[in-house]
Amino acid sequence: MHEKIKREALWQFGGYSFLLVVTMLMMIPIYWLVVASTLPNDAIFSSAGNLPRLIPGTAFLENARDLAARPNIDYYLSIWNSIAIAGIYTVLALLFCSMGGFAFAKYEFKYKRVLFIAILATLIFPINLLVIPMFLLVSKLGLSNTYWAVILPWAASPLGMFFMRQSMQSIPDSLLEAARMDGASEFQLFYRVTLPTMKSSLAALAVILFLSMWNLFLWPLVVLGEGKYTIPVAIQKITSNQNVAYDQLMVASAIAIIPMFLVFLALQRHYVKGILAGAVKE
Amino acid sequence: MTEITIDGLTKAYDASNDDGNENGEIIAVDDIDIEIEDGEFIVLVGPSGCGKSTTLRCIAGLEDVTEGEIRFDDEVVNEDRPRDRDVAMVFQNYALYPHMTVEENIGFGLKLSSTLPSDEIAERVRNVAEMMGIDDLLNKKPAELSGGQQQRVALGRSIVREPGIFLMDEPLSNLDAKLRATMRTELQELQNDLDTTTIYVTHDQTEAMAMGDRIAVLDGGVLQQIDPPEELYRNPENEFVANFIGSPSINLFDMDAEGDTLSGPGGFSYELDDHSVDDGPVRLGIRPEDITVDPDGNNLQISVVEKMGNENFIYGRLGTKEVVIRADASVRPEVGDTIGLQFDESAVYLFDSATGESIKTKTDEIAAPPSQF
Repeated sequence: MHEKIKREALWQFGGYSFLLVVTMLMMIPIYWLVVASTLPNDAIFSSAGNLPRLIPGTAFLENARDLAARPNIDYYLSIWNSIAIAGIYTVLALLFCSMGGFAFAKYEFKYKRVLFIAILATLIFPINLLVIPMFLLVSKLGLSNTYWAVILPWAASPLGMFFMRQSMQSIPDSLLEAARMDGASEFQLFYRVTLPTMKSSLAALAVILFLSMWNLFLWPLVVLGEGKYTIPVAIQKITSNQNVAYDQLMVASAIAIIPMFLVFLALQRHYVKGILAGAVKE
Repeated sequence: MTEITIDGLTKAYDASNDDGNENGEIIAVDDIDIEIEDGEFIVLVGPSGCGKSTTLRCIAGLEDVTEGEIRFDDEVVNEDRPRDRDVAMVFQNYALYPHMTVEENIGFGLKLSSTLPSDEIAERVRNVAEMMGIDDLLNKKPAELSGGQQQRVALGRSIVREPGIFLMDEPLSNLDAKLRATMRTELQELQNDLDTTTIYVTHDQTEAMAMGDRIAVLDGGVLQQIDPPEELYRNPENEFVANFIGSPSINLFDMDAEGDTLSGPGGFSYELDDHSVDDGPVRLGIRPEDITVDPDGNNLQISVVEKMGNENFIYGRLGTKEVVIRADASVRPEVGDTIGLQFDESAVYLFDSATGESIKTKTDEIAAPPSQF
């Protein structure tokens, strides 16, 4: 008995140690990114021995000022663009995905299965294939170089709809029927009964949607012009110069992480719950 | 306060699906007629899949009616939405809104469907909560409540709107046995007080017998019989009803009639005095409580004796046929003993072997009530 407890403790210790090492390995590049953003350009590559420098410097503000002073690219405006686009997108996509998911989870209609598979099937088309037809569509609609050009084509996210459908299937039919008996309209069923019980799933999906839009590169590059650039596009512009200002690039990247980090931090409690929803029968 | 007329109600489900598999139709409810009086407590009972819940859901408006009519006070409601029917329903799993407090749960329907000011709603919610004994739980969420408390909230939610009809879909089946018995009487008292027409679905015949003014027994989507509990017990129209009503179930034997002599399994035979049946196969039914034990007899080998304290259930075999006897606690044979069966002809049921229709039902006197009544 005593042996068994000892062995279990050893396993646990081993497990946590392993996780700790893996976590640290994952954190090293991010840590290095933050350190590099505080170093002057020439110091970034001056290694300490054969290792990259891992002790922070003091040039962060200077680098940030240089970044602001760059001609052609207004990086700080691009942060605002990214926040606005990802924010509006998240709200809109949450609405579409939850409404679509609700219909697929809780209503019976003709060709439901076929439609659902068709929606999921759109996931197999890579963005590269869609860029040209979508670009034509967006410019015909007169949306080029607007936030909507980036937001609208992805607002009805198939993945999000699938996610919401899976979550909403866990709502017992009787709950909706009880609301119907109570006099709720179909739309009230959705927003007064279903949505409030789906908070965790919505939060998890919000994180996923926000990050996917935050990191989107090719499409904003195609449809947005100067002054509307999002962070990934702006960073690409910084690196496309012949002499890459790595100090500014590192500052830009370090700043780009912050909003993402905050969104996750705010929603992480729900995020874990939402991802696990439906995994266990309660 | 509503009269309900169900006239030729039929509900069929389309069993074909998206992939083009044509499986035809499944008839869940088949041509049911029921008249329910104002204030009556009707229980729909039957084994699972018998159509009782579907019937209830059709009345609620949660299912479309394939054929036939449902009328509330002579007004056809087939096409009305649930919210327009003035009906409240209690679900098996309570179906409380998990994100709302008890107060919000109870008041939700009033908020949506009435024009009452919010202080009036709060007042009515409080009154109902007091009536249900949950007034100290108003600020709790359903997850913080016990099963019995959740059930009371669900009931409160249905009565607060003062509907014309209550529909209850196995509301007690998720409770433990003791609480179920308590809630059963509470529900009956509540229904007596409110005098609201109630349709109650259960698969539990004891619950049905205890609660219903009348009981409708369904099987395979077909209404078998609708009558007061005692009538169902004593005069079942067919073997299914006889078998379903009563606990433990009636003993049924395949017998062969020859003149007045019925001979059955394991050499068991019975002489009929004043009832004649055609020669040939017939089913004999005798309720466990109508059998008396003849210690000198020799045709029943006892396999199990369940001593319940107030009475004993004695199980044995007649040939290959299992028999159960409900005997007084003083009757306590040992396992392995052989005993005889005795019963009065007045307690015997006879059913047609082929159709299951009743040929003869119980004609004995109902035991005289104790003198204090």
